[in-house]
Amino acid sequence: MEAYIFNLVNLIAIYAILAVTLNFIMGYAGIYSLAHAVFFGLGAYTSAWVAQNVHPSILLTIPAAMMAAAALSLLLALPALRVRGEYFVAASLGLQVLAVTIFSEWKSFTGGIGGVLAIPPANVFGIEVFKPAHFAILSVVALVIVMALINALVHSSFGRNLRAIHDSESAAASFGKNVPMIKTISVVISAALAAVAGALYASYLSFINVESFTLDASVLVMAMVIIGGTGTVAGPIVGAALLMLLPSLISWFDFLPQTEIGALQQIIYGLGMTLLMIFRPGGIVGRRAKA
Amino acid sequence: MLAIQLAITGLQTGALYALTAVGFSLIFGSTRIFHFAHGATFVIAAYFFYGVFGAGLGLLPSIAAAGLGAVAFGVLLDRLVYAPIQRHEGSFFTVFVASFGVGIVVQNLIGMVFGRGFVTVNTPLSRSVEMIPGVYVSPLAWIAILCTAIFLGALQFFLRRTHTGMALRALADNPELVRTFGLNPRMIAATAFAVGSVLVVPAAIITSATTGLNPAIGHHVMLISLAATIVGGIGSVSGTMLAGLLLGLAESLALLVVDSQWTEAVTFAILFAFIIIRPAGLLGRATAH
Repeated sequence: MEAYIFNLVNLIAIYAILAVTLNFIMGYAGIYSLAHAVFFGLGAYTSAWVAQNVHPSILLTIPAAMMAAAALSLLLALPALRVRGEYFVAASLGLQVLAVTIFSEWKSFTGGIGGVLAIPPANVFGIEVFKPAHFAILSVVALVIVMALINALVHSSFGRNLRAIHDSESAAASFGKNVPMIKTISVVISAALAAVAGALYASYLSFINVESFTLDASVLVMAMVIIGGTGTVAGPIVGAALLMLLPSLISWFDFLPQTEIGALQQIIYGLGMTLLMIFRPGGIVGRRAKA
Repeated sequence: MLAIQLAITGLQTGALYALTAVGFSLIFGSTRIFHFAHGATFVIAAYFFYGVFGAGLGLLPSIAAAGLGAVAFGVLLDRLVYAPIQRHEGSFFTVFVASFGVGIVVQNLIGMVFGRGFVTVNTPLSRSVEMIPGVYVSPLAWIAILCTAIFLGALQFFLRRTHTGMALRALADNPELVRTFGLNPRMIAATAFAVGSVLVVPAAIITSATTGLNPAIGHHVMLISLAATIVGGIGSVSGTMLAGLLLGLAESLALLVVDSQWTEAVTFAILFAFIIIRPAGLLGRATAH
């Protein structure tokens, strides 16, 4: 029971990092990405590779994961600079589909469909962390650091610039703001921090494969942000906790078909997204309607 | 020989892509609703056909079921989800998320009812015939191309020669002016959804008999529809048509160089190139900005 609860804490913390970082570009910069799982995956694969081939210290695995994701995110920033929300959704959807193909085909790095096995546990200053209860400290601390970073960014002049762009791109540009630069930086930051979640995920499960980094994962993270409340601080956390608890809640009710937990979970959050948009577009936490 | 074979297959795929994408493009162009659940319309049409046909009820009832399912879904979605959202706010993002949610629900419901694996409808028409030595074409390829020509021809006639069609084009240009002329934008939007959803039906049926279906195919359909809409130029039905054909051909001809799992990468590469080099698309008037 204890291990079960700490396992949930870890998964919630890892997905909350993803939701918080996606909320950063969705809620503040107005970049609606369906490719967040790509950076999650790249972070996981990179840190797994570093842990197996170099050293499993998180001082190595996490920075390596962040750098890889930051580099790839430039590829996503490129179309984001050219087009508005509608069209960017298409570009990110394409990138996600392409990434899944690469993750399943690049066998020397990702292990193909089979995935990467026997990833060493996270090594924090020489101590190996593999018990869920101990790992929970690591994952929650990581979440707090990521949140603090994003929060500081949002309340800095950079964050004000982002919100200005979100409200009116041309107005921000006419005030001399370098819109493409600000957008690029926000995408890079979001991707690099999402890779932290990937690094934690790889060392926590010690096994990863492409299943965790598909379009479904990107959609799940997007649902967390939206259901919790886009552009709010607490929203992504609430959304992540709610959606990660959903499978356990479903298994609580015996009358529901237990073999269909995954499908039921998706139906519930799909329905949740639609109903919220009709009746409460700001999400659970958000009070006023957000554009 | 292989090149000819692939070109014919590509034409077949491209024709179906064009039909599906034009449905989305028509809806998006005229109502400005980012109808992401268009992929779900495809899934509903395809599985309704598969279900009724599999129950042995014959071809015509199956086609009717697919058509009714698709149109009812499109029109009801417009009425029950998009209309209320547009009444109070209607930003792109809100509509997109609502639509996306519906798509997820449909995909999983279909998966629970019909299973998540690949299914195909077997017809005698799926069997390939040797056209010229080394080139095999199934009669379905010709049916696909013919269907596309008929449906898109009818669409052009509808848009240019009928009052409703002209009203639809007017809505795309200026919704306020439409209201001034005493037409009801909501009624026209409903028509756009009905027509756009009907266009998906032949593509869905033929796909179920050729490459097969799974409940997650809606995402692929959406990627193609979005890509064709953007590559063709937003708001240009003819552009989307051309782009659909182009994407199908490119995907198929790419097999000369790469393995089949990379076909979606080809779509993505073309989309990416257009977004960066020519965001206005092949025949687009306005830029994407």
